[in-house]
Amino acid sequence: MKDSFTLHELYRTAKGFTQQCDLTNRIILTFGEQVIAFRYLDFVSFRRKVDRVNLHDMIFNLDDAYDFEVIEAPKSNQQLVLTLCDLVQLRDLLSGTQFALDLNSMLHEALYTYAS
Amino acid sequence: MKDLQRLRTSLKEEVELALNAQVKMEAEASSKYLAMASWCEVNGYLYSAKYFYKQAEEEREHMLKIFHYLADQGVMAYSPEVGPVPHDYPSFRSIFEAALQSEINVTHSINRLVTLCRRVEDYATENFLQWFVKEQVEEEINARRALELFDVIGEEGTGRFQIDRYVYKITHLDVE
Repeated sequence: MKDSFTLHELYRTAKGFTQQCDLTNRIILTFGEQVIAFRYLDFVSFRRKVDRVNLHDMIFNLDDAYDFEVIEAPKSNQQLVLTLCDLVQLRDLLSGTQFALDLNSMLHEALYTYAS
Repeated sequence: MKDLQRLRTSLKEEVELALNAQVKMEAEASSKYLAMASWCEVNGYLYSAKYFYKQAEEEREHMLKIFHYLADQGVMAYSPEVGPVPHDYPSFRSIFEAALQSEINVTHSINRLVTLCRRVEDYATENFLQWFVKEQVEEEINARRALELFDVIGEEGTGRFQIDRYVYKITHLDVE
């Protein structure tokens, strides 16, 4: 069990939340029932994959194949089967997480550069 | 709370994406030059074909230079998808016009990258790109010189034969 000093919540929505683990340098995504830990680079790659899904096609194409999208999480051997609503919610969660990471980076640059 | 982003890379995401776009552009330029070389070779302009083969190699080297830089900075360099490029040209001269236009487009793109680096205060990448700024000056000089040969020598009689021979001799030093 990781102690609370190493886990920092980055972003939370109705469907899930993300945390940063300072012990393992991982970003932990909890979305519905699934929990996936990413290295930073893998998180970015996963976010881009999710952003690349064509929602317009999913809405207007009546073929059953467009009802869901299967996205593989990098290096975790886990797949997410996502409906249109899941994708919208996951995008929201991932972009909020990215914002929190960017903000943390900016704060580090602004506050800690001179302090150290 | 650790800064995971900065621990991983010094590149801002917008710079990373722009550099990957430049990788793609250099790969496309290389592919275009290869098509030009092919056209020249089958139409009997063997020296020009050599010139364009060399240009294609150079563009690929430029692509790899950026590719390695991205990897060195700890981010993913994406192997680019290159779409179909034109293989038909109306004339010998039009190939060199297309080559100059391609170089101008690359120069604009590099300039936009430098502007972006200054805006986000990424001075290391700006410094890296200065090599490309200088290189593009030479590339444009060479492409312009090739076109100039059409006016200086003229296409009449054995003109195109002469132009073909001179094109391969073009280097930046020759026109200084």
